[in-house]
Amino acid sequence: MRHIVLSLIMLCFYAASGFAQAADLIVYSGRSDKFVKPVVKAFTSETGIKVTIHSGSSTALLNKLKLEGNRTSADIYISNDAGNLQKGSEMGLFQPVAKETADVIPNNYRAEDNTWVGLSARARVLVMNKNDQSVDFVKSVFDLADPKLAGKLGITHSSNESYIAGVTVYMRVAGIDKTRDWLKGMKKNVGGSVFNKHSKIVKAVAEGKKSVGLVNHYYIFRHLAKNPDAPIKVVLPDQGKDGMGVAWNVAGAAITKHTKNKSAAEKFMAFMVSEKGQKQFAEVNREYPTRPGVAAAEPVPPLSSYKVADVPMSDLGKYRNATLDLIESIGMP
Amino acid sequence: MTIINSRSVLSTSVVLLASIPLVFVLYQSGHLQWSQWTGLWSARLPGLLWNTLSLSVLVAIGSFALGVSSAWLITRREFIGRRLAVWLMILPLTIPTYVFAHIYTTLTDRDGWLGQLWLWLAGPNVPNPELYNVFGAAFILSLAGFSYVFLLVSDALTRSRHDIEDAARLHGLNSRQVFWRVSLPMLRPAIAAGLALVVLHVLSDFGAVSMLRYQTFTLSIYLQMSGRFDMQAAAGLSLVLVVLSLTFLILERFFRDRQRYYSSRQAQQLQRRPASPMEQVLIWLWLGGITLFAFGLPVAWMLHWSFEAWQQSLIDEQFWGYVKNSLVVSIAAASLATVAALPVALFHARLRNKVSQSYIHLSSVGFVLPGPVIALGILSFALSWLPWIYGTLVVLLLAMLIRFLPLAVQAQEAAVQQVSPSIEEAGRSLGATPWQNLTRVLIPMLRTGLVSAWVLVFIDTLKELPATLLLRPTGFDTLPVRIWIEASEEMLELAAPSALMLMLGTLPVLWFLLRQHDAAAK
Repeated sequence: MRHIVLSLIMLCFYAASGFAQAADLIVYSGRSDKFVKPVVKAFTSETGIKVTIHSGSSTALLNKLKLEGNRTSADIYISNDAGNLQKGSEMGLFQPVAKETADVIPNNYRAEDNTWVGLSARARVLVMNKNDQSVDFVKSVFDLADPKLAGKLGITHSSNESYIAGVTVYMRVAGIDKTRDWLKGMKKNVGGSVFNKHSKIVKAVAEGKKSVGLVNHYYIFRHLAKNPDAPIKVVLPDQGKDGMGVAWNVAGAAITKHTKNKSAAEKFMAFMVSEKGQKQFAEVNREYPTRPGVAAAEPVPPLSSYKVADVPMSDLGKYRNATLDLIESIGMP
Repeated sequence: MTIINSRSVLSTSVVLLASIPLVFVLYQSGHLQWSQWTGLWSARLPGLLWNTLSLSVLVAIGSFALGVSSAWLITRREFIGRRLAVWLMILPLTIPTYVFAHIYTTLTDRDGWLGQLWLWLAGPNVPNPELYNVFGAAFILSLAGFSYVFLLVSDALTRSRHDIEDAARLHGLNSRQVFWRVSLPMLRPAIAAGLALVVLHVLSDFGAVSMLRYQTFTLSIYLQMSGRFDMQAAAGLSLVLVVLSLTFLILERFFRDRQRYYSSRQAQQLQRRPASPMEQVLIWLWLGGITLFAFGLPVAWMLHWSFEAWQQSLIDEQFWGYVKNSLVVSIAAASLATVAALPVALFHARLRNKVSQSYIHLSSVGFVLPGPVIALGILSFALSWLPWIYGTLVVLLLAMLIRFLPLAVQAQEAAVQQVSPSIEEAGRSLGATPWQNLTRVLIPMLRTGLVSAWVLVFIDTLKELPATLLLRPTGFDTLPVRIWIEASEEMLELAAPSALMLMLGTLPVLWFLLRQHDAAAK
């Protein structure tokens, strides 16, 4: 018994020594490790500030931050979804970034009070199979509810962050009734069978299993980079004079309210909005840098070439529960 | 009386510790308004109840079919490779449910191995079967859980009084009648215990159902917490789940307590009937089929992708860090739980009154509350009462202790029941102090139970996901956490080596457990 207890105590000390190396900056990250690591590495090599990345799901980390309150060890919070960032701001978990850092990024892509800053943007677009002309009539996301698309439509399950954010944008622009009818129509068209990954929608469309899908733009370009001959095309929906424009969502970062290392955290944010940081943050995932003047990687359609829905990204947080209620009331799969 | 007193003090403190998450749930749900309760009741509960119960029933049926059939074949027939077969039926325990779910969703994908096979068999026009429904979830959880039924039932079959079966046979029952009318009823406690274990795992499973997006209580509670930041609704749902699981647990205990018997060591070793060549083929077709799905395919997948990872030299120093972290947590949690469970088990085994019974029930909190809720309860407790332990490994270990204490208590209680109280009294009348009685009489006699407890907790901690996700110290990644992260990013070649290491880490302790079982049976 005594041996067990003793060795137990030793073990704990041993373990504690393993992970207690001092990091200068702790980042709670809800964005893929593979996208965050390169830019963090660049930051460390430029500033000499060591960073520990604590990854998890965006929402779970936000929850953790909330519960931890002033005991948190996190200095920075990164999320792939503006909804989460805005939720964090509303719960008072963040503090404003320096004005000169925030001002680099346009109003629409950051919190009103600068408590979070959008760093890269993605567009909700349509992927279509080039060989199936019967779906060419689809010009708006609302056309996806057309009964002609029964069995031909690919969408993700409704707990996907990007999906929820998209629905919020449409609800803000087109109103709740139109969005409800739209969701009902799509539900009929997919007949209960939805995809668990955007990448699989693109693949299904490329293989002709489906004719049209609603995805984030980079999944299409990722597929095309691997399969240049895939018979798919990108369609930017809701364009033209009366179109509401494409729905956007941003990934971004925030400084936690209770950081014990504010100056390093500010440096981190400043690096993320610098031209170099912007390029690196967005490029690994073929996203749009939010800083004007930094272009997206090559095959992605330039921002100036299309219309984006006029919804502030902070709405994605403000109206998320309303969207969830809507989705649940319809019973979207 | 001093022994009872010290035991009661110790077990009271353990039980108090174990009930922290329950207090959290009661406190949080206490804030719910009546209208919110009725709202929850009408909007969510019917669907969730149906989903959860139908999944539990299907998994119980699946595990019963796989576990009882294999246990009966292995303990009642002599065939080539019987020893190997015992192993093959237990090995699935080394694979966590979320790994099963991840592997089978990739395998049944259109370009997965099974997807390709399906295409070849059924042609391109028949859509390949999906796992994102109750049957898929039941399939995964049965594969992951039937070994518990197998273990308990085969144990009971080896120990069972076969003279009763002989008597039945002498009275003219054929072997099928003997099985259904004599063996099976005698096995009822073991089957009930095995199925209880399986169903409780289903109720609290987080990994597989969230990968398959099958909304059970546990998943819904998690989504309520993390998606909507609605602690109170989550606590309300948890309370319903607690009532559900408790009803179930008490029923099972009631059932088992009425059938308690001291096994007689004198019972003769049972003779296994040699199987004819034809029977041997059939037996192996059945056991081989189970093995293929419950172990062979997943391991082949892990090896395949681990090899890819190795070729891309992705297995680096960081990876070994995850392995180390996992081992540290599991060894510490298993030792803690084993020590903490002993007073509770002894207390109940000797007293057997309402108080001790309620202690056992309270120590089962880890079984009836889903992992995410336990983690949240501990988190809130640590932050408001013991802030200095927050962010250290201690918090994580506390959560593991509470989650898996019931496993340790059950294993030890079973062993304690076999030690007749007279032995302890003899020790005391010969002048042994309580401590001497414990270390020199009880612990040596309970060794099997203690080791089982340690191993069971070790295995479950090694695989634990939701509490680790929430409570691990910053940057402290374990193998399950990495599997979770890589799997959600579809990095197969990164998830596979971690899954393989989890399996390999479990093997030695499982071997130890099994060897001990054999020694006890002889």
